[in-house]
Amino acid sequence: MEKAEVAKKIYELVEKSTGKKKLKSSDIQKTVSAEAGVTRDEVKDALRDLVDEGKLIYTYFGGSFVEIPPKQ
Amino acid sequence: MPKKYQTPLLDELEKGPFPSFVTEIKKAAEKSDMAADELGQLEKSYRDRRGYGKHGGIVGVRGYGSGVIGRYSSLPEEFPNVANFHTVRINSTSAFFYTSKFLNEMCDIWDKYGSGLTNMHGSTGDLVLLGTNTENLETIFAEFSSRGWDLGGSGSALRTPSCCVGPARCEWANIDTLAINYAITQEWQDEMHRPAFPYKFKFKTAGCAVDCIASIARADCSIIGTWKGNIAVDQKEVANYEKGGMNIQEEIVNMCPSKCMSYNGKELSIKDADCVRCMHCIAKMTKALKATGEKGATILIGAKAPFVIGATLSWVIVPFIKMEPPYDEFKDLIRKMWEFWDEFGKNRERIGELIIRKGMREFLEYLGLDPVPQHVKEPRRDPFFFWSEADLAK
Amino acid sequence: MALPQRKTDIGPPHYKDFLPPVIQKNYGNWKYHEELSGGLMVHVSNTGEKIWTVRVASPRLLSTVTIRDYAAMADKYCGGYVRFTTRNNVEFLVSDEKNIEPLQKELTSKKYMMGGIGDRISNIVHTQGWVHCHSAASDASGLVKALMDEFADYFTTKTTPAKVRMAVACCVNMCGAVHCSDIAVVAIHRKVPKIDDDKVKNMCEIPSTIAACPTGAISPDPAKKSVKIKEDKCMYCGNCFTVCPPMEIHDPEYDGVAIVVGGKVGNLRSNPKFSKLAIPYIKNNPPRWPEVTKAVKGILDAYIADAKKHERVGEWIERIGWEKFFKVTGLPFTFQHIDDFTIARETFRTAATFKW
Repeated sequence: MEKAEVAKKIYELVEKSTGKKKLKSSDIQKTVSAEAGVTRDEVKDALRDLVDEGKLIYTYFGGSFVEIPPKQ
Repeated sequence: MPKKYQTPLLDELEKGPFPSFVTEIKKAAEKSDMAADELGQLEKSYRDRRGYGKHGGIVGVRGYGSGVIGRYSSLPEEFPNVANFHTVRINSTSAFFYTSKFLNEMCDIWDKYGSGLTNMHGSTGDLVLLGTNTENLETIFAEFSSRGWDLGGSGSALRTPSCCVGPARCEWANIDTLAINYAITQEWQDEMHRPAFPYKFKFKTAGCAVDCIASIARADCSIIGTWKGNIAVDQKEVANYEKGGMNIQEEIVNMCPSKCMSYNGKELSIKDADCVRCMHCIAKMTKALKATGEKGATILIGAKAPFVIGATLSWVIVPFIKMEPPYDEFKDLIRKMWEFWDEFGKNRERIGELIIRKGMREFLEYLGLDPVPQHVKEPRRDPFFFWSEADLAK
Repeated sequence: MALPQRKTDIGPPHYKDFLPPVIQKNYGNWKYHEELSGGLMVHVSNTGEKIWTVRVASPRLLSTVTIRDYAAMADKYCGGYVRFTTRNNVEFLVSDEKNIEPLQKELTSKKYMMGGIGDRISNIVHTQGWVHCHSAASDASGLVKALMDEFADYFTTKTTPAKVRMAVACCVNMCGAVHCSDIAVVAIHRKVPKIDDDKVKNMCEIPSTIAACPTGAISPDPAKKSVKIKEDKCMYCGNCFTVCPPMEIHDPEYDGVAIVVGGKVGNLRSNPKFSKLAIPYIKNNPPRWPEVTKAVKGILDAYIADAKKHERVGEWIERIGWEKFFKVTGLPFTFQHIDDFTIARETFRTAATFKW
């Protein structure tokens, strides 16, 4: 699978959980690798790009989570 | 000119011989609005007997989920300049050695973009810059990283590893703590900066069982230098200690936990096979006694402060491992531990808590380690134990 | 002005670039060291080369003004090299013997405190407290300052039977080694958190809030989309407040500190030990907490009077017995002293041997 597709799946997963359950990086890695049939490292790599681009951010609420940045 | 607050309560803490943190805040408050409001808010805390800090949230530098802790005042109207009071963790050097050149550069950056207040160091061992605004974070990161300095860990990530002074300035180091600390830090930059663990993970490396870095109390993974050979005795130096007023029988022999020493007034003898390598005799007679033979480390896992199940000290997982570059065996072991933690750990569960919840057997089997008596203080006393199909077939 | 080019994942610089030349040359080749005074020691290598260390107390919370002063003194006397210890002391690393005295003179004239080496009270490791922590039940820096003023002589010159390691933590989260210190102060809350249901609903994850509770006192309150607390199970640890801020735990009237004793991290003579409860509560009395310094002094004096040479506080107490400890210190023994948390039964006396 193309990296862009993995990234899209990650973003959709985070979007879907927003407001329901905060996802940790490992939750995303586990879910997306299982659903898309790619390795954890591939998910990690795509996630890293999403965070570098600012499309997703890390947050901290008693633990570290991955979320969509708030609208300014 | 920053605002000047009346601080009658804090002023009391400028009296007395020990250096005063209040004086430090006041020094910074001469130049920094933020430090000035910090002083004002702290005086209010002293008056009201409560803190006014908040933490958490979404601040950080692009690409990282670590190294910046969002901190805020709960009284932003009263103290607007500490409405944001974010902490930046700079990854310290191994064993906290610095040059004046770096310290001055660090101060230049911090006076320009922060409150001018620091912690040298935070509890985990970061060089902590206390108090800046969200908009300065990228600049601060660019200023430091362009000079070769990176951010430390925070959140559910590998935290900045730290080590004792080791072979740099200590005759007792059995392992190269500074090199190990540096290697760990460089190997796992991603784990440090992009939090993907169930919770925090700390490494501390001590050169010997004196454990000046408190690894056994404060690190999820404690690496403690040890040896397999004998303690070499220089009898001439033993005699010098006695001449110097040491009561060798009382202070050394009687205090040996394994009772492996004896002294006949002339010669100190050690039954090395019974020695547990506690370091007492070596530490007290450093000129006379020296560990020899094969050197390595004991790896212990699980120390943490009381939350949630009560405080734990690290316990032995690998009694002896060679610790020489490139540390492949050690690194593989750690990766395997993290895999176990990733698979079974719950949010905010430290690795030690997970091992207690799942049982040592599952953990050791996952790592492919055989049980040895060194793993326990004593065998179990209850009759409730598991037998796997494989055990039954034996 | 353009920003310099940022770099990611470079880690810290290599430590070799920060070691004084004499250390680089004798790295791993040290033979022995000698404590020359409370604030001065010398390390001697197998080649005969030496490095002197002048140790100075710092309050840990340092302004850039003071750090620049350290740097200036390092330039003047130490070829620019200086290090910090894990207990927040500053160490000036002197390679040239004739620089020791002028450095000591300058330090003294600027009122820096030299000491902390050997069988003494070293600097107190501590946490952030009211400086900025969200869950602080007391200040940390202020307690440290008050205690170290009281024990200044034991840092600089006077000795103790063995080294004495103290710590202050501003809440039971214990971001300092309070749980394994000779004598330590830990700030505690004593009232059940007050729940702001509306805010909990919006700000908190209910499952992680429930999981944060060590005693299982928190359960869901579905009607309010919030949580409720079974008050008789709450031990006021504040872990829920850290995960879910609208569970306000601060209560200035009832917050205060406990004093714990007898912990150690080193393996020398006896195994590492946890600190145990000596005094369950002293009211917060800023700015100088006189009741706390008096209580710590009482314990310290009893230890100094009775311990054998090399015996740490915990080793001394184990030798004389805890019942004797309470007797010689005159501290009252209360219900709070008897454990009722996870390891309680391990601490009950399962023998008929004890002292009157």
